[in-house]
Amino acid sequence: MDRDTIATIIDALKKEKIDLVVTLPEEPTSPLTEEIRRDPYFTSVTVAGEGHGISLCAGASLSGRGCVFITGIAGLLVGTWSLAQMGVLYGIPVFILASYRGDIADRSGISGAQLFMFQQIGEPLLNALRVPYKVVDKKSDLERRIIDGHSACQGFGTPLVLLLTGDVLWSNDSTA
Amino acid sequence: MVKRFDCLKLLASWMDEHMLTVTSRGGNAREWAHLRPGGANFHSLNLGTCLGFALGVSLAFPRRKVVAIDSDGSLLLDTSALVTVADVNPPNLLVLVFDNQAYAAMGATATARAADLQQMAQGAGIKKTGTIATLEDFAVTVKKAFDAQELAFYVIKVAPGRERVKVDSRFIHGRPMLENFVTAVRNHPDYRGGFTPAKD
Repeated sequence: MDRDTIATIIDALKKEKIDLVVTLPEEPTSPLTEEIRRDPYFTSVTVAGEGHGISLCAGASLSGRGCVFITGIAGLLVGTWSLAQMGVLYGIPVFILASYRGDIADRSGISGAQLFMFQQIGEPLLNALRVPYKVVDKKSDLERRIIDGHSACQGFGTPLVLLLTGDVLWSNDSTA
Repeated sequence: MVKRFDCLKLLASWMDEHMLTVTSRGGNAREWAHLRPGGANFHSLNLGTCLGFALGVSLAFPRRKVVAIDSDGSLLLDTSALVTVADVNPPNLLVLVFDNQAYAAMGATATARAADLQQMAQGAGIKKTGTIATLEDFAVTVKKAFDAQELAFYVIKVAPGRERVKVDSRFIHGRPMLENFVTAVRNHPDYRGGFTPAKD
């Protein structure tokens, strides 16, 4: 992820008064979460499992704290139980930025079979959980999508996911 | 072993209107709703979601005491939450795990065998932990932790069964309960957000 993209995401989060960032480190988003950890504006929580990470965000968000969960499609799979509880059962807004693992621009180097699994399961999973999502594949759209996505998440009263594709996540000149 | 209801009765007597609570399902929710009908209470979180949710509430209200009222079966589903709680170390969070060593009437949990949730919490890095087996100990030890500004975690070994209490079930489950919680937190002097529940 290049510096401009990181700065764009951080600025958009600040505009939305999101100051609690919850994550379980994963490769494509780690440059972003590392930068967030260094920024005193944010409280950064590294969770040991995505399930309670999503529950954490639900508790904070419902209690009025601006919060985002940063993960990948694997994290959404692990957090399915909590997403179903917080979303379908309670209708709690949980704003999620997720790397679109398995997108054809994914340059993480993990096995093709894993990537294919993510590519096949990611969007159907979100549909099954009735979680609205938007695929973001242009860096120029990022700021608007984050602001609109957060607003929609609050308005809908549901978890909402922005899926960041490889075109957004990976620099042209590096693998991170 | 103690009766959960007796412990909760004591806990209710310590609470002020600005403190917040989060409960797991079953007897924890019913008995607590009966004892603390008002205030910011989020009830009946399903297995494995109570502790994480309570941590989120504690980060939204850092100047207020937040009490997680969890159970052995619920915590066992996601013990990795203990690691996150220890890592964040919120000084306003008190975690109480009422351990009846059973999934209601459906069989024993691992705490009836070799699993020790207090040691697991300690191993995860939570500094103040304990196991409570008498009401007197609850009254002294847990009250001290309740009054302190330090993360604390207690397993309370309780007898099976639940107190027969009158509770309006609509207000311990689902959307009506959530709307009560949101109303309470939106009126809270420390509330700084703008969440409005979706309307039908």
